[in-house]
Amino acid sequence: MWGCLQAPKGRRRISIPIATKMKLEGLLFVLPGFLYTVIVLGYPLVYNILLSFQNMDVRSFVRGTSMFIGLANFKALFSNPTFQLVLKNTLVFTIGSLVFQFTIGFALALLFAKRFRLAGPIRGSLLIAYMMPMSVTAMLGKNIFGVSAGLINDLLLKIGLIHRPVEWLVSTSTAMIAVVAMNCWVGIPFNMLILTSGLTNISESIYDSAAVDGATAWQRFRYITLPLMRPAILAVLMLGFIYTFKAFDLMFVMTAGGPLNATDVLGTYAYQLSFTKHQFSMGAATGMILFCCLLVVGLFYLRLIAAEED
Amino acid sequence: MKMRFRNMLGSREARGNAFYNIISVIIAVIFLFPIYWLLMMSFKSDAEIFSPILTYFPHDFTLEPWLLNIQDKEFFMSLRNSCIIATMSMCLSMIIGIPAAYGMGRYKVPGKRVMLLAFLVSQMLPPSLMLTPMYLIFNKMGLLGTFWAPVVAISSGSIPFIVVILRSYFNSIPRSLDDAARIDGCNALQSFFRIMIPAIKTGIITVAVISFLGGWNDLAYSMTFNVMPEMRPLTANIYKFQSKYGTRWNAIMAYGAILVAPVVLAFIFLQKHIVGGLTAGAVKE
Repeated sequence: MWGCLQAPKGRRRISIPIATKMKLEGLLFVLPGFLYTVIVLGYPLVYNILLSFQNMDVRSFVRGTSMFIGLANFKALFSNPTFQLVLKNTLVFTIGSLVFQFTIGFALALLFAKRFRLAGPIRGSLLIAYMMPMSVTAMLGKNIFGVSAGLINDLLLKIGLIHRPVEWLVSTSTAMIAVVAMNCWVGIPFNMLILTSGLTNISESIYDSAAVDGATAWQRFRYITLPLMRPAILAVLMLGFIYTFKAFDLMFVMTAGGPLNATDVLGTYAYQLSFTKHQFSMGAATGMILFCCLLVVGLFYLRLIAAEED
Repeated sequence: MKMRFRNMLGSREARGNAFYNIISVIIAVIFLFPIYWLLMMSFKSDAEIFSPILTYFPHDFTLEPWLLNIQDKEFFMSLRNSCIIATMSMCLSMIIGIPAAYGMGRYKVPGKRVMLLAFLVSQMLPPSLMLTPMYLIFNKMGLLGTFWAPVVAISSGSIPFIVVILRSYFNSIPRSLDDAARIDGCNALQSFFRIMIPAIKTGIITVAVISFLGGWNDLAYSMTFNVMPEMRPLTANIYKFQSKYGTRWNAIMAYGAILVAPVVLAFIFLQKHIVGGLTAGAVKE
């Protein structure tokens, strides 16, 4: 009986407390992923910051003669009318997309949160638009917004909304509309998905008791649904901002930023600077401006998530 | 009181049900019309494509646009590249991402909050930002012109996604399961491989599919890091029918349909899981 309390005589092991051992074990599982993320994303990010303050182009990259030039790249960008247009385009594209994809997505979410037989399968099938390759979506957009044999013009002519074909992607005033429309087609199912899951989390009984108290459908939406959905709404708007602001593939394939930079956004502009003109530092500076905008919204999003986590 | 009305309510509900079903079918038809358009165009003949009159159904149904793609050697090269890039980035992301998700979901790891923050922030770093610095770094490392360049870049986006999704899956496994495993003499690795991974099989399949599609859909990284035509995936070669003879939309649409096929297949077989995974990845509940 006493033997149990004595330290084992033969094998004397340095004993690590079980809690510490578990922490170490967990760390070993997490570390590869964490290090991968820090190295593969963190290092380029830091490198990009440095790059944006240098004058690196193809020649100075090969010769290793690039120098730090302070804020010159940023000054050059902000005084360039094309960049100003690009910045404006990015904002118009983002806000335009957010407004339509959110309202339509919310309307669809209200429908698909109801319990009916086809709710699940149809809700899922709409997500194909969200998951399919953006380059195909962009090509499809290029086709249906075509001038002579485009679906959109054909439909609008048949309804009588327009009397002659609109040159959607050829004219600087309409190209953005076409690009926003295609982006909404991708964004709507995403908004619907997240908002539906928010809606189904609201307990039925709240609506039942409100109905008993004589609340109208509008009152129930305004005073129960909207306040309870606030976190989901904020999340979907912020994520929507982050996903839309960084747009690249859609414009690259559908319009190549044209006509005359009318659909050029920060993502495509940074690409052109770095890989068409080979002005890597200018591309990096454009990327930094893109990153700062994402970071501001991203921090709000992280605060929201942190609040839910606690 | 409530009991008495149940019958009445039931029939009203059934009528509401039919109404919602019809409305949702109409919405799906309108919303998915572009997908129908894609498929329908891919069966049109050249004459119909170039005719000024737009048809909503192929008048002389032909497989020629599909054959045009399938008989092209370059097409198979791109298809092979797409498969390689998607498979490699899926494997790399899962090998690194799944253990990380396990550690984050089931252990009290020191610095957990900071690491979670790092994973969440990294989901906000878009290709359009990372292209320039990665291109220069990969150039110095001699990785440009290899599949590793796009694969490493794509995985950096999939890994945080896997961590965020699977963390909650791992967290939901009852604690008693690890205790049982330990008592049976499993060490940490054994219980991870033999008990934890099989316990969240659906989660694993979901992230496998989503990270495969992430690599399959990639355009920016693959196109920028590998300029040689024989290294390019399908997404980067989609406009090859544009310059040759005007725009052969039928051939492009057939090409697009092939590119969309894995997405559609994934939805047919795994819809419920993918929907759940996407939701969990976007917002923490």
